[in-house]
Amino acid sequence: MHADFAKKLADVDAITSGFGDLGYICSNPIATALFIAGNLEKPLLVEGPAGVGKTELANTMAAYMGLPMIRLQCYEGLDEAKALYEWRYAKQLLYTQILRDKISEVLGDAANLKESMAKLHAHSDLFFSEQFVAPRPLLKALREEHGCVLLIDEIDKADHEFEAFLLEILSEYQVSIPELGTIKAIRKPIVFLTSNNTRELSDALKRRCLHLYVPFPEAKLERQILRARVPDITEHLMRQLVAFVQNVRELDLKKHPSVSETIDWARALMLLNASELDGDLVRRTLNVILKFEEDITAVDRQALELVRQAEKATPPPAIVK
Amino acid sequence: MAETKGEIDRTIVNFLKAVRGADVRVSVAESLDAVRVADFVGWENREVLKQGLSLALAKTTEEKGRFDACFEAFFTAVAERSPAEDENEATDDWDGDTAGVNNELAQMLLEGDQAEIAAAMEEAAAEVGLENIKFFTQRGLYTQRILRQMGLEGLDAAIREAQANTGMGEGEGQGQGSGGGGQPGQAAALEVARKRLFETARNLVERRLSLYGAETTRDLREGRLRRSRLGNLDRRDQEEMRKLVARIAKRLAALHSRKPKRRNRGMLDLRQTMRRNYANDGIMFDLIWKRKKISKPRVMAICDVSGSVASVARFLLQFLYALHDVLNDVRSFAFSGKLIETSQFFAAHDVDAAVDQIMNAVGYMPTDYGKSLEDFREGFLDQVDKRTTVVILGDGRSNNTDPRSDILKEISERSKRVLWLNPEPPPLWGTGDSEIFRYRPYCSLMREVNTLQHLERVVNDLVRVVKAAS
Repeated sequence: MHADFAKKLADVDAITSGFGDLGYICSNPIATALFIAGNLEKPLLVEGPAGVGKTELANTMAAYMGLPMIRLQCYEGLDEAKALYEWRYAKQLLYTQILRDKISEVLGDAANLKESMAKLHAHSDLFFSEQFVAPRPLLKALREEHGCVLLIDEIDKADHEFEAFLLEILSEYQVSIPELGTIKAIRKPIVFLTSNNTRELSDALKRRCLHLYVPFPEAKLERQILRARVPDITEHLMRQLVAFVQNVRELDLKKHPSVSETIDWARALMLLNASELDGDLVRRTLNVILKFEEDITAVDRQALELVRQAEKATPPPAIVK
Repeated sequence: MAETKGEIDRTIVNFLKAVRGADVRVSVAESLDAVRVADFVGWENREVLKQGLSLALAKTTEEKGRFDACFEAFFTAVAERSPAEDENEATDDWDGDTAGVNNELAQMLLEGDQAEIAAAMEEAAAEVGLENIKFFTQRGLYTQRILRQMGLEGLDAAIREAQANTGMGEGEGQGQGSGGGGQPGQAAALEVARKRLFETARNLVERRLSLYGAETTRDLREGRLRRSRLGNLDRRDQEEMRKLVARIAKRLAALHSRKPKRRNRGMLDLRQTMRRNYANDGIMFDLIWKRKKISKPRVMAICDVSGSVASVARFLLQFLYALHDVLNDVRSFAFSGKLIETSQFFAAHDVDAAVDQIMNAVGYMPTDYGKSLEDFREGFLDQVDKRTTVVILGDGRSNNTDPRSDILKEISERSKRVLWLNPEPPPLWGTGDSEIFRYRPYCSLMREVNTLQHLERVVNDLVRVVKAAS
């Protein structure tokens, strides 16, 4: 590994503070996972509810390591032509046309068919060569000279076949292209996979990865995140807001508000110049954190109670000196 | 903690065994990862070690929870070797003078160094292979083996000797080979210490059993639960059973959650092909074939909820609802004297509450198949279509009322197939008021179902066959 990289991944605290400087507050388990995955060069499979910063984790890792970030968004029907490589058919066509025009020059003064075949064989076969390969994210990641961060996002959305296809990359950091042979990574990329757990991933895939579960953050961590992301917010409002969101997560809802939605909400409240949560304000802005009509009605009914709870959980605003 | 490389390896191998016992699936590749991680992060920082091993071993949220518990239990057990424990209480009434005792174990006990004793016991446990303990019946055996390994026989001899010395009194106690004279109280102290040693060993064995034997014990119990008749289940097994059903259902769901698509070879999907090949100037390199999506099966389950059938119905319904992401559309009906739709109960409550409500609504009435089938025809027959599989669960005992098998014929004609699950064993079919043979001609399949194993097989077939056929 690069000396520079080794230093950046030297210990858990270095990672925590480095990520903190980039605005990503990571909990201890996350930092430990990055530390181990980075040093052992194992892919890291990150699972957790939507919006807890799984994708952001990879982004920040790229920024932290100073590496380019290559992202592969998975979806149903994603195949190797879109993920790994594709032939540049149009160029290949042109090539065959050129070849046809120049064929007499290549063959020259071959006397008979046998001789011209021999000459043709001697001529290097360019049709299936690297020149005509259009690299897609995975191949790009392997050919990145200084390494990169490869993010395979929402792997649970892809088909089973695609999962199987990833196995070679994940365990050996290489891919096999039938026409070209095996391509090994120049420098092993740092691989992240994310999943929202919409379906169970195969055991084979899990076996090749380290598995990190990122839950919703605890109140303290969420406050730190807000402080880093929305620096203008007053301490009092932030505490109320976090207490409120944490309580909403306890309710039986279709979709719980995520960290990204907490941040959005904080920004929205800043725009509205709010200094404190109250029932009315909460009602008007609930749609920022809740995305289902039923959820909004359910919380709306309890809004006052929740605001009161949030107030109880937060100390009165400190008098500014 | 563990110092030498060999000892570390042993510890981690034992830990992996314990983790497997805690129902976390660990493959060989993952064990290797765990060893790498442990080597890399070292054994000094417990928290980091735990997180690291959790990354390598536990691969679902549930597994993470079980892993954490197992980690704590295991490393608490290992750390017990540390001398933090109750210093020196074993021989309170003894001043610690070991003169006259030449047995190593006895001396150790008299000195009351708990750490040393624990270390010796740990060593003995390793020597006799305590990590191989599997069944609770082996507890006594392993306790004895450990104590013998530690030198119990020598200790007994020493106790006898000390007793003899005390008995003989000070006067002539010199002649023995033991060198020093036995002192009063020594024998008693040794007795107490021996008892305590025995207890410590037993505790150690118990703890290890719960770590290492968990897997076998669970396998045994689950095997029994799978095969025992659902009607005969103990109340205390119910909870266990529910978990088991949930787990099997999850496995079935994972097995069948693949969205089956079959390529329809020979049918070119022209639109897709043109779209894909725009980049090549419209020249079609990439051909795309039409695919056939196979629709998920619709299931209508009609359950008799009288007496012994109800216990089977409970688990069948739990299965069907747990499989909601594999099955498209599950509707359930319950009947005894009359028939009602019960889908909404399951949508709103968990299985147990739902079953209780259903029992209140229709249970405890004399069974009347004819009336119930009529109710079904009135209310729901028009919703049975060619994609629907109808599952009927019942013993076909209709209290001598008209069985109305003509309605079943109608259902069978409209639906894709009718499965009849009968909790009675085949020899009882058709005896007494059983009308089962009147229904049989209209069922695509009639099966005996009264254990979890049967149910699992039926549900598996239900999902698979329906898929393959469509």
